[in-house]
Amino acid sequence: MSSQKSPRDVVIVEGVRTPFAKSGTKFKSIHPAELGRVALKELIARSNLDVNLVDEVIIGNTGNPVDAVNISRVVALGAGIPQKTSAYTVHRNCASAMESISNGYEKIRSGTMDVVVAGGVENMSQMPTLLPARIQGLFDKLFAAKGPKQALPLLWQLFKADLKQIRALLQGNYRDEYFPVIAVMQGLTDPFVGINMGQTAEILAKEWGLSRQMQDEFALRSHQLATKNKDKVKEEIAPTFLPPEYKEVLTEDFGPRDNQTLEALAKLKPFFDKQTGTVTAGNSCPITDGAAMVLLMSREKAESLGYKPVARIASYGFAGLEPERMGLGPAYSTPLALKRAKLELKDIGLIELNEAFAAQVLSCVKALGSDKFAQEKLGLSQKVGEINMDQLNVNGGAIAVGHPVGATGTRLVLTLMKEMKRRNVQYGLATLCIGGGQGGSMILEREA
Amino acid sequence: MDMKSSIKIVPQGEIAVVELDLQGEKVNKLSTPVMLRLKDVIGELAKSSYKAVIFISKKPKIFIAGADIDEIQKLKTREEVLTAVNSGQEIMNKIEDLPMLTMAAIHGACLGGGCEFALACDYRMASEDPATKIGLPEVQLGILPGFGGSVRLPKLIGLQASLDIILAGKSVNAKKALKMGLVDRMVHPAILSEESLRWAKELISKSAGKAEKKYHPRGTVNKILEGFLGRGIVFKKAKEGVLKATHGHYPAPLKALEVVKKTYGWSRREEALKIERECFADLGTSEISKNLIHVFYLTEMVKKSSGVTSKDVKAREVRRLGILGAGTMGGGIAYVAADKGIDVRMKDLNVEALGKGLKHASDLWLKLLKRKSIDKYQFRQKVDLVSGTTDYSGFGTMDVVVEAIVEDMSIKQKVIGECATKMRPDAIIATNTSSLSVTEMAKGHPRPEFFAGMHFFNPVHKMPLVEVIRGEKSSDETVATIFELSKKMGKMPVVVKDGPGFLVNRLLLPYMAEAAFLLQEGMDIEFVDKAYVKEFGMPMGPFALMDEVGLDVCMKVLKIFRKSFGDRIEIAPCMEGLEKSGRLGKKNGKGFYKYAEDGKRIGVDVEVYSALGLKSPSNTLSSKECIERGVFAMVNECSRALIEDKIVETPHEVDLAMIMGTGFPPFRGGLLRYADSVGLTYIETQLAEYAVQRNAARLRPANPLKDLAKANKKFYTDSAS
Repeated sequence: MSSQKSPRDVVIVEGVRTPFAKSGTKFKSIHPAELGRVALKELIARSNLDVNLVDEVIIGNTGNPVDAVNISRVVALGAGIPQKTSAYTVHRNCASAMESISNGYEKIRSGTMDVVVAGGVENMSQMPTLLPARIQGLFDKLFAAKGPKQALPLLWQLFKADLKQIRALLQGNYRDEYFPVIAVMQGLTDPFVGINMGQTAEILAKEWGLSRQMQDEFALRSHQLATKNKDKVKEEIAPTFLPPEYKEVLTEDFGPRDNQTLEALAKLKPFFDKQTGTVTAGNSCPITDGAAMVLLMSREKAESLGYKPVARIASYGFAGLEPERMGLGPAYSTPLALKRAKLELKDIGLIELNEAFAAQVLSCVKALGSDKFAQEKLGLSQKVGEINMDQLNVNGGAIAVGHPVGATGTRLVLTLMKEMKRRNVQYGLATLCIGGGQGGSMILEREA
Repeated sequence: MDMKSSIKIVPQGEIAVVELDLQGEKVNKLSTPVMLRLKDVIGELAKSSYKAVIFISKKPKIFIAGADIDEIQKLKTREEVLTAVNSGQEIMNKIEDLPMLTMAAIHGACLGGGCEFALACDYRMASEDPATKIGLPEVQLGILPGFGGSVRLPKLIGLQASLDIILAGKSVNAKKALKMGLVDRMVHPAILSEESLRWAKELISKSAGKAEKKYHPRGTVNKILEGFLGRGIVFKKAKEGVLKATHGHYPAPLKALEVVKKTYGWSRREEALKIERECFADLGTSEISKNLIHVFYLTEMVKKSSGVTSKDVKAREVRRLGILGAGTMGGGIAYVAADKGIDVRMKDLNVEALGKGLKHASDLWLKLLKRKSIDKYQFRQKVDLVSGTTDYSGFGTMDVVVEAIVEDMSIKQKVIGECATKMRPDAIIATNTSSLSVTEMAKGHPRPEFFAGMHFFNPVHKMPLVEVIRGEKSSDETVATIFELSKKMGKMPVVVKDGPGFLVNRLLLPYMAEAAFLLQEGMDIEFVDKAYVKEFGMPMGPFALMDEVGLDVCMKVLKIFRKSFGDRIEIAPCMEGLEKSGRLGKKNGKGFYKYAEDGKRIGVDVEVYSALGLKSPSNTLSSKECIERGVFAMVNECSRALIEDKIVETPHEVDLAMIMGTGFPPFRGGLLRYADSVGLTYIETQLAEYAVQRNAARLRPANPLKDLAKANKKFYTDSAS
């Protein structure tokens, strides 16, 4: 059962990423644009691409570094993409790097473009700590002050405010209006309903009856699969040097632990709900730094250039749900993508479902297999389908590998596409939940 | 030449705009016809009622490039020099004395006489453009600024800044010129002509009038140093600096210093200019100046050459460069290429080796960053151009690949063949071998016409020479492309034929081998090296050089040469002890010299004599003999390379290669110009004598040298260049 080939099919020619490294470790001093540059430069080299053919570079990113706000352009120029070629950055939270691919897909599909680089970059280590509004207000006044007469009283106020800030820091009271705003924490808090992403996972764990043990076992599985298959996965990783010494070079993800035990996981305290919670740092994904890129082309262009694409993008879909249950996003977006591809879940032979939280992954599995959920939430007559756990995240997932928010979408597609080739699987699904209450899904068909 | 339209007055109301556009030439220069025309124009302006004059160039990237060097080269007698300089000074005086205010609107090169022209004006506006360079490079040609520049520049920008420019022959960009007061304003190049007009009108309306050159030092320290008492210190330091840099071999900066010292602070222009004139005349007819101008012509020759004789052959543009081997040479080549905007990808066997190559390049840019020669954005852009791989990924888009792996013929052939299959069929591979045959190596390439040699010298970022080696099958296009690529990388290419050691190493080997015999005969290492540096003017002596090259490499190459050249190469017995005592030279910190952690030379290793089975030095030979034996050995070998083997076509190429590749003293004009100047008969006689006295068959005069001497000929046939 293979679909009819069309010259305007969107195919993925090649993909590559940097290793993913837990924030605050190997990549902490490497700018996210630099991570993106390494991945894109390697993509160009591995595909022997004539950079003049690239119509556009589209890159996902959520942290929006202040010194590279359209980070896509910085990545593109640094990697040697010509100045004439346009580049822009997209933001759909955790799915930013799937959004970039879907953008490219639409532009190629419509015949507007033939060659698009899509990807994502994120360095969560470098997300800034911001001044609290109270102190920023003083700075604004200070910069506008004319002469020492106006400035001195403001400096005095600033001094007093700083003392208040130190008090807040000593008390550890992040709700204090003088406490600095930590961007990465703020980013992981839903701006509409005000709860943390971990708390959304707690809600799902309780509502879908997922015990601490079940979550921990799933987390252990992620580490075990990731370490077991790391040599295989190296294929998609660009060795990344750590300047200025260039002595150390990362060739694999810095996150998966080969000595992870269930006992060690069980010892961790629930992080988001101290009393009745089950979500821990161990069964959640770590904050992470990394970048991933794929090269998209129209089938006709790829053929004329003599490329042998790895996969075709069959469809994609994004859907929304309650922000406080954002982790269930894939259960909403997947039926949409399946419908657009005219497929059913049983046709899918391999799945990459992003592991933001073990609880969230497991509840998606349950929801997709639930008639009740399908009828109440999706307006379908029966369940979407059962997920075969042997086909899910077979090389581990974000709990081990990490989740650099703006890069993960592309990483899922990349890892999926390479594994589909290895396993000779015809259809594969990459899907993820999106902070703010959305889900994203993309279906690939194997080409090579 | 149409001089009227080369310099013309374009009236703009009460302002006269004088447009400089030398007809039939790419650049504006102050040749005799130009100066005569200028004299007329100034005369006309002096009688006019204009309130201001603006001098501006119509050339795209040149204001005035300087005086006409051909004319300087032709000056033979002191009188000729004095007359020429005097007439130049007079014209600059006339500009200075014009009744209306005068302004130079500078875009592009404003050098030498051009800079002195601008200095004679009241005001200077410069364009903020990388092409704009203002300075006085005269000392680089062995002369000094003679059109009033040595007098007017210190007056305008003070003692310290002006000595910095004059003594080193430096030029500065617009930003620096503005900072030091050499120009008064800086504007975007697109609005230079409008802005200069606007500013002139503004000056007229303010009745600003003529501007007096006066330097106002800032800060107490500067005030003292520029003051009457502090000057002595500045002059003393400047002299020390010059002597340290030149070992006294270059008289021009010292003469220039003398002019500034004698005239600084004077208001009597005529007397000051007389001193400048006289000092110029001391230099103008000197051998050293003629030699330096000769070297200047050699470099110009390369700029104009394409590396091949056929005019139809076009070099291909190189945007992407692959490098096989990320060692010291590979890393260095990556640096010079990426520094000029070429995308570079290195391949090596493992990531550790790649890391070293990446670091090598990155560290060199880091130095520039720390020195503020580049900013962090430029640094980023340069570093971004270099990547690495352990497979051949990306080599399918390379225009050229330079091979810089281990010096082993069969490995090189194998790798070259392998690499060729990963590249476009029309892409070029060039080998950086220093000792292996390019023609032989080409057999490893499936399409040998796309193969040539590209021999860089170590350290790559410092040594300007590249020997482009034409293998038997190398195509013209391949040679031209590598030649052009070398130029793009900021290097001086010389095309040489394939042969042992190509050109430079072939000449250096007998020189280094001879040094070893000096050591064997009881000479002190430091004595010999010092003689070469201080007396002859080499950048380093033969022992220091051998340490730099690597003693294992020297021995290996000596043995190869002995095989190829027989008796012409002899190896001093003491050299055998080098390997046994584990001396590799600078790279392991142990050679003839000792080295600090950072690679700095810290004196002769006293143990070296006993380690090589020698008694402590008795120093029985004169420094003259030490120098002659080494240098004449090179001349001797060169006569064979040039005349018998035709490794290069002309003596010019030999001299350029030796200056750029070994640092042979430029003030001597190159090896063969030097040989011509001491006389080939003398060289032949000395060699013959040393051969007998020191029982050294290797020093016997070669036939081509004997033939030249017998015919009373020189290496250079045209005495003019």
